[in-house]
Amino acid sequence: MKGKGTGTTPGTTSNSMSDEELMSQVRQGVGEMLGVLFERYQSPLFNFYLKLTGDRAMSEDLVQEVFFRMLKYRQSYRPDTPFRAWMYQIARNARVDHLRRRRPETSWEPEMSPAIAPADTAEQSQETALLYRALMRLNEDKREVLVLSRFQDLKYEEIAQLLGCEIGTVKTRVHRALQELREIFHGLQGAKPLRGKSSEGTGAWPGSGSLQ
Amino acid sequence: MKCQEIEGLLPDYLHGKLNSDWAIKVGEHVSQCSECREEVEIWKKLALLPEEQPSEQSRARFRSMLESYQEGRWENASLARERTKFRGVGDLLDWVRTPSLSVAWACLLAIAAFLGGRYVAGGDRVDREGQELAALRRELQTTQQLVALSYLQQQSASERLQGVNMSTRLEPDPQVLDALQHTLRYDTSVDVRLAALDALSHYGTRPEVSRGLMEALDSEQSPMVQVALIDVLVDLHDSSAVEPFKRLQQAPKTDPTVRKHVDWGIRQLGS
Repeated sequence: MKGKGTGTTPGTTSNSMSDEELMSQVRQGVGEMLGVLFERYQSPLFNFYLKLTGDRAMSEDLVQEVFFRMLKYRQSYRPDTPFRAWMYQIARNARVDHLRRRRPETSWEPEMSPAIAPADTAEQSQETALLYRALMRLNEDKREVLVLSRFQDLKYEEIAQLLGCEIGTVKTRVHRALQELREIFHGLQGAKPLRGKSSEGTGAWPGSGSLQ
Repeated sequence: MKCQEIEGLLPDYLHGKLNSDWAIKVGEHVSQCSECREEVEIWKKLALLPEEQPSEQSRARFRSMLESYQEGRWENASLARERTKFRGVGDLLDWVRTPSLSVAWACLLAIAAFLGGRYVAGGDRVDREGQELAALRRELQTTQQLVALSYLQQQSASERLQGVNMSTRLEPDPQVLDALQHTLRYDTSVDVRLAALDALSHYGTRPEVSRGLMEALDSEQSPMVQVALIDVLVDLHDSSAVEPFKRLQQAPKTDPTVRKHVDWGIRQLGS
């Protein structure tokens, strides 16, 4: 994630600084350094929220909220502790607060929200849309653990710390989430089984090479 | 190998974290078991979901938040310095000598001297003097208002703060109330706005004041002032505050703490 900053932020020195160094500076009152962290993390955070909520506007608001809180609660960051863990903690809290406030009126249908860009082919885009809908139908806790482990580049240890549970529990949750996602996806496909190919056939999916 | 044994290994397998022996074992199972294979495949398929970019506006919003934070911080720091100045008597005299206010102060002193002189002289025409005194007091009140008003227009936040404090010692006058309302809505310093709110809260039963408070709530950005405004409006038991409360509650930018507080406020006003 380092060095992702663009020209709109302070010079190259700050761009080569670690997240932890930057946040320590913010803590000491060099608010400008938050700009570098913003360039590094606005996109990962936005995608985190978008895959959790399916709502672009809300996701953008939440990203702003996270950076506002980082500034407001900057003293709560302990220097030399992992920045990302602290940031995702804030991100989760911001979302929980947001949900609490919205609860009375939540009747939002994930299918209505066109949050995904068109894929390369018609078949692929249909599959992506189905997958997206399946993800949105997943129970919230399961969706979160899946998004954290699949897209946010967090280790199981880090997720366990974030969710306040054992590593084993995180793994079990990921597994259960995948099971459920598979079932929902099947259901949406009209009980049509997944293309029953073994792993050699998966090369056709863009980005499948990212399986670490 | 059975599915149950795979369960604990699959997440690490997906992340490529298993050592080669275990990876081979899991791989063998996955190739034979359709359920586990589908799980692996759906994990891979998740890569289909594209990485999205936030809008350009997002960066601008962040920048303006950062800037206002930095400005606010600097202003608070300078306000704190100015406040400490007030603690010394010598500094208080410095403040009295502020050139822009010297005319108003001269008027005040002249009237006070005149009143004092009248008292010392004494006399038998008590009724007439009583009337004159009343007239002079009115004049003094007006001059104090002028002083307060001129303080409210000063550059320095602490002088404006002093203006607000002076106004609380005066009879409520439409012009002063108006100036306080203006201060509450447009003063750049949170401390001055809070002080103005405090002063106005004594006159909250006046419809023009309560209306002004509600308008201020709509435009106010500082969570601290928002919370104070909610408190004052709740104390007034004015149910027409529910509407601005709801607007604040629904505004996307509202601070979570404020939102909690405004929820409470709405409940208090019985809606």
